[in-house]
Amino acid sequence: MSEHRRQILEMLSEGKVNADEAERLISASEGPSSLSSEPGSASAGKSRPKYLRVQVDSEDDGGHEGPTKVNVRVPMQLLRAGVKLAYLIPAAAMQKANLAMLEKGIPVDLTQIKPENLEELVEQLSDLTVDVDQKDANSKVKVRVFCE
Amino acid sequence: MIPFVAVVSLRDQQSRTFRLWIPMVLIWLVLLPLGVLLSPFIFIACLVGGVNPFRGVVVMWQIFSALSDTQLDVEHRSAGLSFHIF
Repeated sequence: MSEHRRQILEMLSEGKVNADEAERLISASEGPSSLSSEPGSASAGKSRPKYLRVQVDSEDDGGHEGPTKVNVRVPMQLLRAGVKLAYLIPAAAMQKANLAMLEKGIPVDLTQIKPENLEELVEQLSDLTVDVDQKDANSKVKVRVFCE
Repeated sequence: MIPFVAVVSLRDQQSRTFRLWIPMVLIWLVLLPLGVLLSPFIFIACLVGGVNPFRGVVVMWQIFSALSDTQLDVEHRSAGLSFHIF
């Protein structure tokens, strides 16, 4: 929730403004993107992510390995094309893969990965950030996965 | 657009850097006749496997086209490897 919206809602709860005035204030603070009532319009103002980034920083404090850094940048177009590649896998092989993943405790149905669902998946990736921070006696590892 | 150049950069622990520019166009030119020669076999393999060969070609083209701007950097101590596709 944005700070402006929070302040307006607080004013509404305190009775300083009525509901109509609060709505006008919220619309004015958020600009043209608030005028559309379609659910997908919220993301229309966001720029689409172009790359998927993976950064790994590993520091070896006590050992002799030394620091290690990995930086990977993958275009989103490659991910889209990769999902389409999965769509080419024959159904029999897909079923075998599903069974193998289920045996490992991963209940994922690979047949549901379709290009039609791809854009929605990529849009959700724009908000994805994974930060892993691991420390032990001899090393620190930071892993960051995000879209930009 | 398919990538045209790949740059591989190697840096050793003495900080000496070796950079190699690979013209991907030459690789595509070599792969193209090879692909034409192997296409009947690939076509038959796709039909046997139950895969639409034309869709497969389109997807592979999309993958190659999407490789541009892929970047991989690995650094360990003072040594490093960088791979960038333009």
